[in-house]
Amino acid sequence: MAILLDGLVLGLQLAVLGVGVSLVFGLSGVLDLAYGAKIVVAAVVGSELLGAGGARWWVLPVVVLISTLLSLSVDRTVLAPAHRRSGEARVVLSLLVTLAVAFVLDGIVVSVRPHAALSLGIGGAPMEVMGVTMRRGSLVAAGLALTVLVVAFLLLQATRLGRAIRCVIQDEEGAQLCGVEPGRVRTIVVVLSGALAGVVAITQGLSSSVSTADGFDLTILAVVVAVVGGLGRVGGAVVAGILLGLVHAVATELLGASATWVVLLSAAALTILVRPEGVLGLEGWRRASQEHARTEADA
Amino acid sequence: MLSVRELSAGYDGSVVVDRVDLDVEDGEVVALIGANGAGKTTLLRAIAGLHLAVSGEVIFEGRSLAGSSAAEVARRGLRLVPSDRRLFPDMSVRENLQLGAHPRRVGQRDLSAVVDLFPRIAERWGQRAGTLSGGEQQMVALARALVGRPTLLVLDEPTTGLAPRLAAELYQALAELRAQTGVTVLVAEQQLPRVLELADRGVVLEHGRIRRQGTAQDLRDDPEVRRAYLGVD
Repeated sequence: MAILLDGLVLGLQLAVLGVGVSLVFGLSGVLDLAYGAKIVVAAVVGSELLGAGGARWWVLPVVVLISTLLSLSVDRTVLAPAHRRSGEARVVLSLLVTLAVAFVLDGIVVSVRPHAALSLGIGGAPMEVMGVTMRRGSLVAAGLALTVLVVAFLLLQATRLGRAIRCVIQDEEGAQLCGVEPGRVRTIVVVLSGALAGVVAITQGLSSSVSTADGFDLTILAVVVAVVGGLGRVGGAVVAGILLGLVHAVATELLGASATWVVLLSAAALTILVRPEGVLGLEGWRRASQEHARTEADA
Repeated sequence: MLSVRELSAGYDGSVVVDRVDLDVEDGEVVALIGANGAGKTTLLRAIAGLHLAVSGEVIFEGRSLAGSSAAEVARRGLRLVPSDRRLFPDMSVRENLQLGAHPRRVGQRDLSAVVDLFPRIAERWGQRAGTLSGGEQQMVALARALVGRPTLLVLDEPTTGLAPRLAAELYQALAELRAQTGVTVLVAEQQLPRVLELADRGVVLEHGRIRRQGTAQDLRDDPEVRRAYLGVD
């Protein structure tokens, strides 16, 4: 039971992480290798603000705001040339650009604040959930992650904006034919993904801490969750996040912390080999290969 | 309604559409006739703002479309239904239609109008568009364009891949639509007899240039057209 709850708590946070990357990839073909670095920047600024003292609650929206602005400015500046290209060229160029952004952001953070870490320790005694004693911070983090996921789900499934986002993911040209501007939708999704990065900084800060060295690991986790979920499939990312969270908890229990990383990545690699289209659904993958065949035939 | 002036378009330096002039008047149905590779699709895509023209101008309802995005063109009432339909395969028929009205909420009247036109759509309401047959997909694509209340409907080979019976059904529906709403239509086709029954006028495109044009009757009687597109000597 304890393992299950631990896994769930971690899994919900991983889900948020994966959704942020998956959404952007589905929409624009940009696999954001700077996602972890953005989280770290937001976290470090948050820890500086906390260090400066003052009331604490307003730091949280500021963290989200920072990652959002960072996300938007990267998309608008260095990623602009990638957006002007299409297909594979865009994917490859955006990989290189976001990797470079990750290095630059990491470099800046490490040189300016090498030892900064965001840790939002919440006081109070541990709580008992279904007979298991859980740290209060972890529970709040899981609750926050769950809330954010539910809100994101409702936004995507039950609003006109969400429908517009999903239609651009499925067929950008079809969306244009309906009067939906893919560029405008992309801006909204980039903002959303940036905000989710801020949320991850907060949930990680609540359940453990985010330090300057964590950027790369967070990016790897985000990409793994997104890929296991099937890139561009938001629901898939949620399922994959929770599954990997459970795998992580079980592996930690059975093999110890040092082996979990290997187990986690092996589980991800296995899923990708067995179901390259992601844990949910076949349709997207089949469509992508049909699309590919069609472009080949046209050429 | 639509006035295309000296429009040229192509890919990577090769000219596919070469200085085309084309007019469509209010309430007219104009057939764009041409073989595979004549440049019909490129011309229609350039009109709809999906393909950047090399030169020339498209004027829609008195205003130039230069610099308008494809989405803006669609919102202004020029709706293209491409031959590959471009439905959202993982969404239900209902959601596809709801998106047709974007950014408005889809009107109940618009929905019942398209269901009157294509009764089959009502049976498929909750089904994912990607699982529909080719004929049903074409109907949903047309319906999706119609709930956007187009003033000009542009159809690119609407009967591509359809069985003859379904193709006939589709043209039947288009004739009904025309009688009911008087919507203006520009329709590209290779299948002549059917489209010339519906159309007032026809324009023949060959190698990206307009070779002849005239009333539907003129084109039906034209020996060249009969030989090239009707398979009649």
